[in-house]
Amino acid sequence: MKLLVIYFAVLVGSLGLVAVSSREFTAKPCWCWPGNQHIFAKTKPHVEGTEYRSYGSYDFEVDWNNAERRLPLNYEQAQGKRIFYQNCVWCHADSTPAGPSNRSNVTPDPPLMNDGSLLNGESDASLEKVISLGGSGVGKSPMMPPYGLTLSGDEIKDLVAYIRVIAVPEYRKSPGRVNEISRSRP
Amino acid sequence: MPAKKAHKGVSWVVFGLAACNALILVLIYGQLQTDWQQWKQYKRGHVRFPGVAAGTLVWKQAVVPAQYSQASCGSCHLDGASQTPRLNHGRQLIVKYNCVGCHRLQGVTRPAMLGPDLTNVGTKLSREWIYKWLKNPRTITDENGNVTVDGVATDPRMPKFRLDEVELRALSAYLSVQRVRLIAAYKFNPRAVAIAAKGGDAAAQGQIKFNQMFCVTCHALAVDRGGETTLIGGDIGPELTKVGSKVKPEWLIAWLRDPETYLAHTRMPRYEWTDEDLYEVTQFILTKLTDADLLKTVPQLGSPTDSEVRLGQRLFVEKGCAECHEIQGVTPRSNFGPDLSALGLAAGPYLEEVKLAGDHTAPLHFFRGEAKQLDVSVAKVPRFMIAYIQAKVKGSASTGRETHMPQFQMNPTDLDDLTMALLSMNGPLPGPGTPKSLILQRASREFIADGKAGQLYQRFKCYVCHMFNGYGGGLAPDLSYEGSRSQHEWLVGFLRDPQTLRPTLTVRMPHFNMTEEDAHTIADFISTSLRNTQVDPVAVDERSFTPEMAARGKQLFEIKYACQSCHTIGSSGGYVGPSLNTAGNWLTAAWIEAWLHDPQALVPGVIEPRQTFNKGEIQDLTAYLLTLKQSPATKDAVPVAAAGGSQ
Repeated sequence: MKLLVIYFAVLVGSLGLVAVSSREFTAKPCWCWPGNQHIFAKTKPHVEGTEYRSYGSYDFEVDWNNAERRLPLNYEQAQGKRIFYQNCVWCHADSTPAGPSNRSNVTPDPPLMNDGSLLNGESDASLEKVISLGGSGVGKSPMMPPYGLTLSGDEIKDLVAYIRVIAVPEYRKSPGRVNEISRSRP
Repeated sequence: MPAKKAHKGVSWVVFGLAACNALILVLIYGQLQTDWQQWKQYKRGHVRFPGVAAGTLVWKQAVVPAQYSQASCGSCHLDGASQTPRLNHGRQLIVKYNCVGCHRLQGVTRPAMLGPDLTNVGTKLSREWIYKWLKNPRTITDENGNVTVDGVATDPRMPKFRLDEVELRALSAYLSVQRVRLIAAYKFNPRAVAIAAKGGDAAAQGQIKFNQMFCVTCHALAVDRGGETTLIGGDIGPELTKVGSKVKPEWLIAWLRDPETYLAHTRMPRYEWTDEDLYEVTQFILTKLTDADLLKTVPQLGSPTDSEVRLGQRLFVEKGCAECHEIQGVTPRSNFGPDLSALGLAAGPYLEEVKLAGDHTAPLHFFRGEAKQLDVSVAKVPRFMIAYIQAKVKGSASTGRETHMPQFQMNPTDLDDLTMALLSMNGPLPGPGTPKSLILQRASREFIADGKAGQLYQRFKCYVCHMFNGYGGGLAPDLSYEGSRSQHEWLVGFLRDPQTLRPTLTVRMPHFNMTEEDAHTIADFISTSLRNTQVDPVAVDERSFTPEMAARGKQLFEIKYACQSCHTIGSSGGYVGPSLNTAGNWLTAAWIEAWLHDPQALVPGVIEPRQTFNKGEIQDLTAYLLTLKQSPATKDAVPVAAAGGSQ
């Protein structure tokens, strides 16, 4: 019996000493190293709602028709933006970094790249085809040169992703629904 | 029976204790092992975030918010990748604003010139102007003291220092007595002045010359367009809108005649002047590019006293002016500002905070779990490294009077880009665990031409605008392979009278008034030294081209490939590519063939797309392009072939 009493006294005493020496230990729900995955959560946080703060985006593009509006771009879209401003902006926009646009010198007029009413109807695959084979490759004007040997497949995909971002009216995946949405808008 | 009782009890208790002890030992062992694993993970650099689903990690190294993520690329891509345009721009800004003058930065070496050399500044500027400049280093200002024109701040690179009246007086006194070499007034040839005066308004004539020489390629001028101030011109040299009120006339003439005697590291070329031109242009600058109200707010300063000069010299060192400006008798202090070469690491793991349930907050980078609120407040500037850097650069509240850091003015996008470049500085490279092969070193090539052409290359500062084997400026075309591209006679003609090949460009090659001999020397150098081995001049025989081939080439050019959408021939066509009106005089046959075969192989990154021409088509197109010539006698006439083609 004496043995038993001594044993318990030592056990309780040592545990108590640890607990007293660090109040944090007792306040903690568990003593695991932070980040341990509990099979059953001891303290499930009471969630009142989830609010996400914008961390910004890899890059952004200013809406062509509205200087106030910033369109966030992810990595692929940002690459598309860079390629667009290197190769395409000269004929597919009304103003270019170097000044006047070359659009008026080309007949038929090349579509503006943010013209959603025209481009949203095209599938990604068909846009990629026009870019890589050029106008003559798809039975259109040869004024559009082929970029298949200049840009890589990924770069062309990035370009299409960028075109989708700047489209006005906004691009929706299914072309059928796009028309409905754009019609319902004021 | 006590003994039996005790025996019985002990056996029960001992079994229980043994079982309990075994369980406790197992639990402790399990916990220790988990801890050990966690500790190992922590030492490796990442720790699982508490209470959050798998996949969310906290890195020891800073993971910056998405808009600054290009900074991470910069840890290894020291040379700048095309995929990170904003980081590359930020690095240019670091160089532009001379951050390296005071701070140690990773991979940025101190250039020969930071701010202008002030050894002789007393011969250039008046004390009043220096006072005004130090008080607020801007000249184009509205009533509020700041103006941005066209969305671009007109501020020069010189940042604003917080100086009080005594300091301003002392520094302006000190600087205005810096006259090591006196400038003798230049005596114009009286006949030249008489000719200039006879032509009527010398200043108006000077303005025409100023425009003809394309000074605006490097120097901007603010012009008033319908009540709106717009800055027109380049930013290689300083903006000149009010320079007539700034510099002393004798200094201006001496400077225009030979900039290098005043400033050894200048980027301004030495032009060939006639007395008449020089007189007219200086008249234009001194009478038209002025502002009578510029120095109105400056108090009467009088001549500098000895005590003011002595105080000025002390302040010049204390304020860190010597870090960027050279002056006689003053040596820059090393490590004036803090070492920023590992600022990216100093950003630390705790960039932002998340509020968890209860009153707990936790540091985070990317949080995908359930949280109450992400809390990033401006008030906690020092906790939030990016906000701190930006506050420091802009010189807002977080930097007190006692700090040396001056105020820089830049737009928010530039500030973000600059911050990104600073965050990419991750200390000595390669970092722990980074294979050396992954680090893409910054190329540091310098191209120095030798011989007589080398002197001219230095004199006309070709490298300020043009690129030579990866060294030089990006404003004008890369000339690394110009010798293979252009015909010798064309080069001579172009150097003497540069006609732009791209009609839409507002910046053009300045008119250097080069002598025939100099032009030949440079053209010889280009033709012999700047060649591309892929272009073999012997491989293509121009004499084998027949008129039939040229006719077929014309068809290909206009109908099959519609090249006129980008290139102008005659008076029609696009202006994305250069005009081809004089292609027959300009380009060599070997270059055209090699170019049509694969443009990117000759000039990487060029935007002309590579087409699928076959060998015959390339020859036909080359034959056609070589027929596009302009004879010197009928310079303005449209070439016959092109006139036919433009129908």
